[in-house]
Amino acid sequence: MGMNDTNDLRKKNGLMHPSVDKVLVIEGTHAASHAVRLAKVQVIAAYPITPQTGVVEKLSEIVSHRELNAKFIKVESEHSAMACCIGASISGARAFTATSSQGLALMHELLHWAAGSRLPIVMVNVNRAMAPPWSIYVDHNDSLSQRDTGWIQFYAESNQEVLDTVLQAYKIAETVSLPIMINLDAFVLSHTSEPVAIPKQEVVDEFLPERKALFKVDPAEPHAFGALIGPEAYMEMRYKLFQAMEDAREVIRRVDSEYSEKFGRSYGGLVEEYCMEDAEIVLMTSATAVSTARIAVDELRSLGFPVGLMKVRAFRPFPVDEIRELAQRVHKIGVMDRNISFGATGMIYQETKAVLYNASVRPKLFGFIAGLGGRDITPETIKDIYSYLLNHDAPESETIWVGLKSGQEVRPEGGNASSAAFGQNENV
Amino acid sequence: MGQYKFTTVEEMPPLAFSLESTRKIPTGSWRHVRPIYKEKSSPCEIGCPAGENIPQYFDLVRNGKYEEAWHKILEDNPLPGVTGRVCYHPCEGQCNRGPYDEEIAIHNIERFVADKNFRNRNLPRSGEFHKSEKIAVIGSGPAGLSCAYQLARKGYRVVIYESEHEPGGMLRYGIPHYRLPKNILNKEIGDIKSQGVDISVDSKIGGNVAWTELEKYDAVFVAVGATSSRKMEVDGEDLQGVYSGVEFLYELNNGRKPKVGNRVVVIGGGNTAIDAARSVLRLGKKVTVLYRRTRSEMPAVPEEIEEAEKEGVKFEFLVAPEELTGNRGKVSKIELIRMKLGEPDESGRRKPVPLRNSNFTLPVDTVISAIGEAPDLSFLPYSFLKKGVRIFVDENYSTGVPGIFAGGDSATNPNGTVVNAIRAGKEAAISIDEFLGWRAKSDGAPREIVKPEEINTFYFPHEKRVKIPRMKVDSSVSTFKEVNKTISDAQALEEVERCFSCGTCLHCDVCMTFCPDVAISKDEAGEYVIDYDHCKGCGICVNECPREAMELVEEETQWV
Repeated sequence: MGMNDTNDLRKKNGLMHPSVDKVLVIEGTHAASHAVRLAKVQVIAAYPITPQTGVVEKLSEIVSHRELNAKFIKVESEHSAMACCIGASISGARAFTATSSQGLALMHELLHWAAGSRLPIVMVNVNRAMAPPWSIYVDHNDSLSQRDTGWIQFYAESNQEVLDTVLQAYKIAETVSLPIMINLDAFVLSHTSEPVAIPKQEVVDEFLPERKALFKVDPAEPHAFGALIGPEAYMEMRYKLFQAMEDAREVIRRVDSEYSEKFGRSYGGLVEEYCMEDAEIVLMTSATAVSTARIAVDELRSLGFPVGLMKVRAFRPFPVDEIRELAQRVHKIGVMDRNISFGATGMIYQETKAVLYNASVRPKLFGFIAGLGGRDITPETIKDIYSYLLNHDAPESETIWVGLKSGQEVRPEGGNASSAAFGQNENV
Repeated sequence: MGQYKFTTVEEMPPLAFSLESTRKIPTGSWRHVRPIYKEKSSPCEIGCPAGENIPQYFDLVRNGKYEEAWHKILEDNPLPGVTGRVCYHPCEGQCNRGPYDEEIAIHNIERFVADKNFRNRNLPRSGEFHKSEKIAVIGSGPAGLSCAYQLARKGYRVVIYESEHEPGGMLRYGIPHYRLPKNILNKEIGDIKSQGVDISVDSKIGGNVAWTELEKYDAVFVAVGATSSRKMEVDGEDLQGVYSGVEFLYELNNGRKPKVGNRVVVIGGGNTAIDAARSVLRLGKKVTVLYRRTRSEMPAVPEEIEEAEKEGVKFEFLVAPEELTGNRGKVSKIELIRMKLGEPDESGRRKPVPLRNSNFTLPVDTVISAIGEAPDLSFLPYSFLKKGVRIFVDENYSTGVPGIFAGGDSATNPNGTVVNAIRAGKEAAISIDEFLGWRAKSDGAPREIVKPEEINTFYFPHEKRVKIPRMKVDSSVSTFKEVNKTISDAQALEEVERCFSCGTCLHCDVCMTFCPDVAISKDEAGEYVIDYDHCKGCGICVNECPREAMELVEEETQWV
């Protein structure tokens, strides 16, 4: 690659923007840690779990080197970590934690508590498959299982997006008073080094001023928070939380464009479209698989196929408007889920289907399951899926398992894209 | 606060919270166990024969209150500079930190506190002599000094009769300067005198002072110590060049240099033997200690044995003298017999048994015999009850003769250590006070002792014990100057920080911090107060307390 090409790429990735202090080649976990430093978080409480550990290790270094003036609380479990963050946040502090998989599951009760208390806590979750069988590799069942707790959820595609989303998240969270979970793929991001632009502190400070809490614990004026209330008011409290999540859609879009102005990088808000001009067939997916899909799309486009891509960046709030608008433009939508809801389908597929039922235009919808427990999603995998979409008017079943090692055809309950679409692509 | 009524969702706050404090809800009624502050005894203070309150004076050191720390020690022991140097510190053997990493160097802290107050003459004098009774003490060794000091603090006029020219007994004449410099001893004797104790030196009861002189006193404490060396009971013991350990050390401590040759042996395994051997080194001669059992049975303090070995004292175990032979009245040979260890004797140690036909001889020119000491009780005018060679006393240190008490090495059950003599003096003072009708003896119920497993070691990272500064071996054996040094302020602070403070609250605020119901606060004096209207008895404070200074007790169930 020539020098000019390199500079073009740097420019494209926002590495040459005037807001950039320096470019570090760092892992996804450390990108999160640097964002926490820049956000001037005041309380960090976390319990180590692979592959999240790097986030906290780096932060402990940052705090001990006094690069961040924060209280770093060692705890005995993820449940306690979240409890600490809740305590800190309700006292008016900016709080952070990070976890993964089983650790997130252990936090479950307190995830409700954080959201119900309307606390703008930010958490990084490194997506790791749930046990058993034990796995330390990526899929999204851990975070998607927490979808009804009232947390905003983002899925990051790159280490740069991890850093940028953490910074955006504090601003969004503190605006709508809801906690935010930023998810990144185990190892594919967490342990892979990429160039990451570290913004200048003063620019971050302009973008993200000190937190102003709506209410906080004050010994001089004591109140009990999260008190018991009767049936005459509980529903209204739920409605307020629901409404906050609705409001978050617009806030997410606005904050992303503000971020773009300050830092030169944008992620489109709740979704990002790629090669959507005249696209007839579109694949929706999230996280690092999006990067892989971009390569497959480029290749298929060069061969003349009318394919496009939609990255689902926010899962909560779900991008209802964006998907309904997309439905008006395309013939077929494939959804590739890196998760499975047993007894149903992939979760993004399920939600997309629900969104489209009352839509005026309803293209054919296909649900694919791929990459569970760290199984690689390669450009070939994505091309298999596009081929299936090109060659089928309708899905042969509700879930189509991609790359499943099966001696039999997995139909009609579960179609198998590899065997169905391209005879030349044997199951891997 | 007024009544709020929300009619629409828009009026509602984002989160449900109470309009005022919930303190008026007395959730304490949920409780069935109640946390209380209850201090307990540390094993070290139980292990200290003098009963020094170690956690309390450590806390004062921790806060830089060196004078108050000194005063705290002085309640139990007027000679901390002495014991900080020469005590065999049984307290440390009991320390709960021992099983965790290394026991606290308690004696070094005691010495540090004493030395910090070396120029301090400001003792806490309890009051004037408000008691009319007068008391005589015979002997100014540690037992006599301790007893006289405690009695003076209780308001009595006390006179000590000392046969030597200077007070201190074995502290002065038995312990060599390199272990206990005389200026330290003099300072602390000065402190005791400043409490109103009179010391009449060159006054030997039964000698230049008649026993009947004592009749004017309301009580007498006999603490003459054990100053006569036991005989080896072998032929040739009277030859020139044969000393007793006590005699040898007495000469040295009087500033004289007893003549020693080039082939010196010391017989015995106690502290006197070790003191004599190390002193011989300092006179520029080589020396071998001959002991009839093995190293592990030696009654000397283990550190002293180690030090002696480091300095070059040789040891020969499992040998006993059979005969000394001389040349023109001077000792020239010692005949020894090899021993083996047999069944345990009444001391619990295995008894040495001679091995037949194992005799051998060594050429010697100086023999120092230090196989034990006994009191010289020839001055006692009428027949006191005795047990063996010592005065019989009951558990109140009473001899059976009304008003006459005895303690220390001249009375029954001594263990021959300074600190046990100090204990005897202190406890005898309480008995004498009681005998004179002043106060009941009881200090209240004994407290529980904190066990190692009761310490919350989470709060105590592993740390090494303080390293004692010491003179280099090369220079230490060429002089009688003190070998071990006082630790620095920084070392003392580090060492007290290592202390668990078993059973003694340090106001560390852990209980207050952890209470989930914010039911613990501090009053104006800085003491913790538990709000039992809101304490639910969860026990977290008790569980978290690093040092077992709290306890959970069952609530009494009240049926209404």
